[in-house]
Amino acid sequence: MRSTAPAGSMAATGVVPSFPIASRLAAKGSTILALLGALVIWLALLGPFAVLIKNLSFHSIRAALGPPGALEPLWVSLGASAIALGAMVLFGTPLAYLLARGRLPLARIVELGIILPLMLPPLVIGLLLIFLIGPEGTLGNLLADIHLTGVNTFFALIVAEFYEAAPFYVLGAHAAFASVDPRIEQDATLLGDRPLQAFWRITLPLAAPGLATGLATAWARAMGAFGAVIIVAYYPRGLPNQIFIAFQEFGLSGALPFALLLVVAALPLPVLAYLWSARTRARVAGTETT
Amino acid sequence: MSAAPLPLLEVDLEVERRAVTVQAGFRLGAGQRLAIFGTSGAGKTTILESIAGLTRLSRGNVRIGGRLVAGKLAGETALAPRDRQVALVRQPTTLFPHLTVEQNVAYGVRQSPARGHIADLLERLGLTVLARERGAALSGGQRQRVALGRALASPFRVLLLDEPLSAVDVAAREALRLLTIETSIERGAAGILVTHDLAEAQAFGGQLGIIDDGRLLQIGGAHQVVVSPSSRRVAELVGYGGFIPVPLTAGRWHAIHPDRVLLGARPERGLVLTGPVVSTRPYGARYECVVSDRSGEQFTIHLDQAPGAGEVCTLTALDPPVVEA
Repeated sequence: MRSTAPAGSMAATGVVPSFPIASRLAAKGSTILALLGALVIWLALLGPFAVLIKNLSFHSIRAALGPPGALEPLWVSLGASAIALGAMVLFGTPLAYLLARGRLPLARIVELGIILPLMLPPLVIGLLLIFLIGPEGTLGNLLADIHLTGVNTFFALIVAEFYEAAPFYVLGAHAAFASVDPRIEQDATLLGDRPLQAFWRITLPLAAPGLATGLATAWARAMGAFGAVIIVAYYPRGLPNQIFIAFQEFGLSGALPFALLLVVAALPLPVLAYLWSARTRARVAGTETT
Repeated sequence: MSAAPLPLLEVDLEVERRAVTVQAGFRLGAGQRLAIFGTSGAGKTTILESIAGLTRLSRGNVRIGGRLVAGKLAGETALAPRDRQVALVRQPTTLFPHLTVEQNVAYGVRQSPARGHIADLLERLGLTVLARERGAALSGGQRQRVALGRALASPFRVLLLDEPLSAVDVAAREALRLLTIETSIERGAAGILVTHDLAEAQAFGGQLGIIDDGRLLQIGGAHQVVVSPSSRRVAELVGYGGFIPVPLTAGRWHAIHPDRVLLGARPERGLVLTGPVVSTRPYGARYECVVSDRSGEQFTIHLDQAPGAGEVCTLTALDPPVVEA
C-alpha cells in the first residue's frame, strides 16, 4: 500500500513540467487584463462620488442647507418614497410570487406590463400620468370625488415615484421567489404547514436576500425619481426637484449640497440591504462548498 | 354484511410524462411495504410524487384511508397537503437550507411531547453532533439522514422514499433501514421505497414491484419475483444473464441467473448446459464468466473458481424459469 504512494505522486509531478509555458503566460496576461478592466469600471462608476466630495465646501453646505425650511424637500422625498415603497411591498410581493410560481394567467402579458415602465422614458411616463390621474383624466375624475388630484400634490409625487421604482422591486422579488425551489415549499405543506405558514417559514426567509436587494434598488429609484416627478409633481418639492431648481438658479455650487443630501439620504438603506443580503446568502448557501 | 377493512393506500393512476406514460395500480394495508425497482427514467419518482398528490394525474386517483389525495372525482375534493399525513423523502434531498439539522428534523412535529423524541431520533440517525449545523453544510449522506429523520419524525401514515440511502455509507445503511422499517410498522403506516438497486429493494422487507418504461410489470414477494419473473424483460431487469431458447418453441427462453448455477451435470436439479468459456473476470470474491452455449447463445454466470478462457465446462442452471417476450 505504501509503495504505491510515491509512484502516484511522481505521476502527479510529471504532469506539471509538461504544462506549456505559453499558455501559462496567456493565463497571467488575461488576469492582468481583467484587473485593469475592473479598475477602469470601478473608477468610472465611483468617480462622480469623488468629484462630489472634492467640490463641496463646508461653507457652501451651510449656506444651502442652513436657512429655515431648506430641509423641507428632504422630508417630502423621504415621506413620499416610504409610502411608495410600502405600496410596492403590499401589492408587488404577491404579484411577484404568483409570477414566479407561474400561477398567473397571461403571465407574459403581466410581465410585459411590469417591464414597460422601465422601457418608457420617465418624462413620457409623467406626461401619460397627467392624462391618467390629472384633473381631466379618467381616473382623475374618480379621484376628484375623494378630493384627490393627481397633479402637483403629495399624492401625485407618490404615484410618479411608484411608477419609476416599482418595476425594480417586482422584478427583483420575482427573481428572489423563483430562486426558491417550489419542491421545498411542497415539502413544508406535506409536513403540516398551511400554504401561508410555508410562505412565512420557508419561502420568505429564503427569498429575503433577493427581496432586500430589490427593495433597496426601488428605494434608491424612488428617492431619485425625477423625470415623471417634474411633470406631475413640481410641487410639493422633493429633493431631485430641489437639485434641479437650485442648479438653474445658482448653478453647480448651489445644487451640489442638495445632491450630497440626496445621496446621504438614499444610500444607507441600499448599502445596508446589500451587505445584509450578501451575508445571509453566504450563511445559507456559501457553506455548501465546505 | 360486515365490509372488509379499507386498504390504507389505494393507487390507480396514470401520468403523462414527456418520454413515458407512467401507470401504476396497487393497494397497501397498514404496516405493509412495497419496494419498486427499476432503471432510472422508468417513472419511479413520478409514482411517488403522484401518490403524495403533487402531480396532476391524467387518469385515475389515489386514496389514503379512503380519502381522495390525487385525481378528480365528482363531488369530492382532495385532501389538503397538510392533512394527507404523507412523508416524502426525495432524491436529490430537499432540506430547508436556512434551518439547522435539528430544526429540519423537527419541522413536521407539532405537539410538544413528540419533540422529546427528536433528540433520540437524532442520536439513532448519527446526527447528534451535527444538530446545530445548517442543511447546506452537510455531505450527501448526511443530507439523506436529515431528510429521512424529517420524514420519520412527522406524523405520517404513508411513507414515500426515493432512493433514501443511496449516498449513505454501506456500513450505516442497515441501521437506518431498520429504523425506517421499525418506525413504519410502529405507526401502522404503508411504506413505498423506489430504488434502482435490487438488493436495497429486497432489503425493504415487503413486496417487490418491477417498473419499466412507466409500467409496473410485476408485483410479488421479494424472492418470488426474482426466481419466477413474469416476462423476459423482468428477468433482464432482476439480473438474469442469459436466455437459452426453449427447443421447438419460438419466443420462449430458459432464463439463466448468474448466481443460480452449479458446476457439473445435475440433470435432476435443472438444465444442463455445455460450452466454452468466452471470458472471465473477478467479481467480488468470485468470478464472472461468460459462457457460450452449444446453440451459440452467451450467458453470464458467477463461479467460485476461475476456468481458463476457451475451457469447455458443463454447468447446471438450477430450475431456470421459462419466460416469454
